[in-house]
Amino acid sequence: MERLLPVRAGRAAPFVSFAACLCLLSPSRAQDIVVTAKKVVLATDAVLADGAFLIRQGKVAFAGTDIPTEARKKATVIDYGDAVIVPGFVLPPTTLGRDRDLAEASLPFTPDLRAIEAFDPWQEELAKLPAFGVTSLLLSPSPRNIAGGIGALVKPGQDNGVVATAEVHLALSLTQVARNPERPPTSLMGAVDMLRSAFTMAKAGTGGGPDVAVLRSALGGSRRIVIHADLHVELAAALDLAREFGFEPVLVGAREAEKVLPRIVAQKAALVLEPLRPEQRQAQLRLPTLLAEAGVPFCFGGRADQLRTSAVLAVRAGLDRKAALQALTRTPAQLFDQHTVVGSLRAGCGADFLVFTGDPLDLTSAHVATFIDGVRVFGEAGNAPKPHNAAAAAGAR
Amino acid sequence: MRTQRSLSVFPVSGLLAACCLALLPALTAQDPTPAQNPTPTPAAQPQNPEGATPPAAEGRRGGRARRAPVVIEAGTVHPVAGAPIENGVVVIRGDRIVAVGKKGEVEVPPNATVHSFPNGHVYPGLVDAATDAFTDDSLRNDGSNDGGSRFADDLRVQGNRNDALAAAGITTAYVTVRSPALVRGKGAIVRPTRDGFEAWSGKDAAALHLRITNGVGPSHALQRQQQVAQVDALFEGLEDFRKQLNDHEEAVKKYDKEFADYLAWHQKKKDGDKPAGGGGGGAAAPAGAGGPTGPGPAREGRPTRGRPGPGGEGGGGGGEPPKNDPQKTPQEQVSPEQLEQALATLLAALPQDPPKPAPAPAPGPQDPAKQDPQKPAEGAAGPAAAAEKKDEAPKRPTYPKAPPRDLQREALLAVIDGELPLRIEAHRADEVRGALKIGRDRQIPVLVLEQAFGADACAAEIATAGVSVVLTDTMAGPFEPPYEAMNPAKVPAKLHAAGVPFALASGRAHLAALLPLLAATAVGNGLPADAALRAITLTPAEILGIAQDTGSLQTGKFGDLVVTDRPLFATDSRILMVLAKGRTEFEAK
Repeated sequence: MERLLPVRAGRAAPFVSFAACLCLLSPSRAQDIVVTAKKVVLATDAVLADGAFLIRQGKVAFAGTDIPTEARKKATVIDYGDAVIVPGFVLPPTTLGRDRDLAEASLPFTPDLRAIEAFDPWQEELAKLPAFGVTSLLLSPSPRNIAGGIGALVKPGQDNGVVATAEVHLALSLTQVARNPERPPTSLMGAVDMLRSAFTMAKAGTGGGPDVAVLRSALGGSRRIVIHADLHVELAAALDLAREFGFEPVLVGAREAEKVLPRIVAQKAALVLEPLRPEQRQAQLRLPTLLAEAGVPFCFGGRADQLRTSAVLAVRAGLDRKAALQALTRTPAQLFDQHTVVGSLRAGCGADFLVFTGDPLDLTSAHVATFIDGVRVFGEAGNAPKPHNAAAAAGAR
Repeated sequence: MRTQRSLSVFPVSGLLAACCLALLPALTAQDPTPAQNPTPTPAAQPQNPEGATPPAAEGRRGGRARRAPVVIEAGTVHPVAGAPIENGVVVIRGDRIVAVGKKGEVEVPPNATVHSFPNGHVYPGLVDAATDAFTDDSLRNDGSNDGGSRFADDLRVQGNRNDALAAAGITTAYVTVRSPALVRGKGAIVRPTRDGFEAWSGKDAAALHLRITNGVGPSHALQRQQQVAQVDALFEGLEDFRKQLNDHEEAVKKYDKEFADYLAWHQKKKDGDKPAGGGGGGAAAPAGAGGPTGPGPAREGRPTRGRPGPGGEGGGGGGEPPKNDPQKTPQEQVSPEQLEQALATLLAALPQDPPKPAPAPAPGPQDPAKQDPQKPAEGAAGPAAAAEKKDEAPKRPTYPKAPPRDLQREALLAVIDGELPLRIEAHRADEVRGALKIGRDRQIPVLVLEQAFGADACAAEIATAGVSVVLTDTMAGPFEPPYEAMNPAKVPAKLHAAGVPFALASGRAHLAALLPLLAATAVGNGLPADAALRAITLTPAEILGIAQDTGSLQTGKFGDLVVTDRPLFATDSRILMVLAKGRTEFEAK
């Protein structure tokens, strides 16, 4: 893992002292840690009953019976008793409320800009994420530009955020906010034309500056192309471009995805959905179920505090629990080719996990703790085998 | 002749046959025929050969046929009023529960319709203590409502998901709106059905609503204090208003009495002016007896028209019965003594003044109607004048003027008298404290706080005041800064710990299907699961004052229940069946 931004002593003083306290409570990072619980979900297809995994240097080194006996003996054990452990949630493209800093308002086409240039590791919003179960996120340029730039994978930390992968995806946008009346393009057809011209130039392999070079690289498969599109006409335009230039897009927003679902399936596009809200109509709440039935990869985006609720509402509307948990963890990591780093507790991934008193997709389950890179950044310490209200929740069943 | 006899007998026998036919379903429903012993069917299939619910069991409201008893068997029955029952049975006869218990220990009526859910869970019908179902946007946004407004007058079926409460397991709902009005009106309790709703008889004005908040948006503390003062001011002058009402009531009673006297006097005069003819009443007739006009002074000695002689039967009094001789004329039947007595009576009446009509009431200080009847009339000149007026007609009383009708004040009086619960919407802790102060100062017997998101900060005060709380928005999560400290999901656990009775409600009709999840969210934030279940069943029924009829699975209560395939609070729990008063209001396909 790469730490690009050093801690700045002045602003970070409170965080540093908080981190020092945590270090006193938590085992040293140099020491191996074994985490045990009644149920450990390494990935949606790998669930351990009375499971354990070993953390070494902030990453998952071994899980289950693969843990060497000698290493287990020497490791510090954190026991969460009857709790359920799942991988940390991955928040797909977001600006974390910094739209102005993550969009160059005067220029519509800036594919070579990098989101990490505007990353503030001490941002308050970042510090709140662990409480919502988010252990990593894809910081992305704002959809206000037709071509916003290159996103990064970052993590909230125990003291400040860190950059896990500096350059991940290319963010484009066809949404209404990208069509700025104060500078071209002001229309959807103008926006599509701008992208088509740039892709044509990139594909031709001639001319162009760094911006066209980024597009050329993306078309060559170096990174995923993410297109913000909400309405069916925007989605159709994005799919037209994808078919024309031969890439499989990740469509963000996709409010009217149902209207172009056959095309989404045919072109193997993936979706990052807006958060689901309780007041939405059943047709909207059913969209994840439809996508799952059609085999479309999707994950939940938007606000961090609505991630879990979105998955719960999708399950309520008929989505399989496994698919819902995958949409919070593995799928977003996979869509952005970060599944070897985050999104599961398989060996080699960061030890980013959440502790719940029960199934995280049941609202009766309380969120007990969040760990990032093997360090507890939210909630209660382990070795407290009486998870919050677990007995009462069980009584309701 | 034979034909005639048959015809004459037919109506009677036909009537008897019709009565028997009408009673037949009732008789067969009660008839414990061993041949009809039910065998529980697998997985939610009603007990009959066709696999469909029999018409008797499906008898809709308004139908005359008596429904067969309904039996629900399930893996777990959650009565709420007691511990969960494994392999439980609920028996419903008519619209009430007649038995709840363990399978094998409860007698199942032999002719019952049995629904069996071996892995299912049975809960009481959910009670939503606050919803805007069956209202439309015009009512929800109507800021002109006041205490006299009744939501029950404007409820309607919209035919959209806002009405699908029954399918969500809600068998009782309290309808209110979040309009901007300070005094929003009176909420109603309804019974959702598969195609609409029924009003709960006698609960169409179930509580009065006040608002003491501007919402969770920015507001100044002084502004909020003013709101509290504004609400408190509603109760000013109520006692004066009550006195006006009481005075008017007394005046009406007095008027009734005086008017009766007035009528009686004139009746007496009228009767006294009539020429004596016949007998009848006689001197011995008791007061009021035999007269056609009911109340009034005794008509002693008054002869009755067309009746011969004193003590006649028409007078109802004593005296010898007349000795009638049909061969004689009436004149010949009167004895000389009787004629002499009648003549003397007429002569005695001659010097008297004829009865004067009652003078019309005149306005001004001289209006005799407004004078105290105990005092002599103004201008009367001593005892002589009084004696002169002794037999003068009583003045016709004037109907007392009623105070102006004020439905809002009448509703507030009902609140103070404990006849109508008061529900105050108050969000922040200071608003909640303001509501508590109003309740304390105005001695409001039944106070309920709504949407009290900041109630956790003053839970002990709420408990001390004996006030209930209806909470909504528990899934909304923390509010935006600067009010992120208010997290509705965490409030229920705090209230429970403090001993405050509280209900969890949807607040909005489109959240009805999520009512169990709202409770589940509270569980995830520290509320015991049994308390959460109670908060959407029995406690709201208690708050609404209908716990004797619904809210738990107990003998004698309505047959309101919900069957789910998984525990109610599980996210993927599905509703299989909903019964309300024993009728099937929803059944999963």
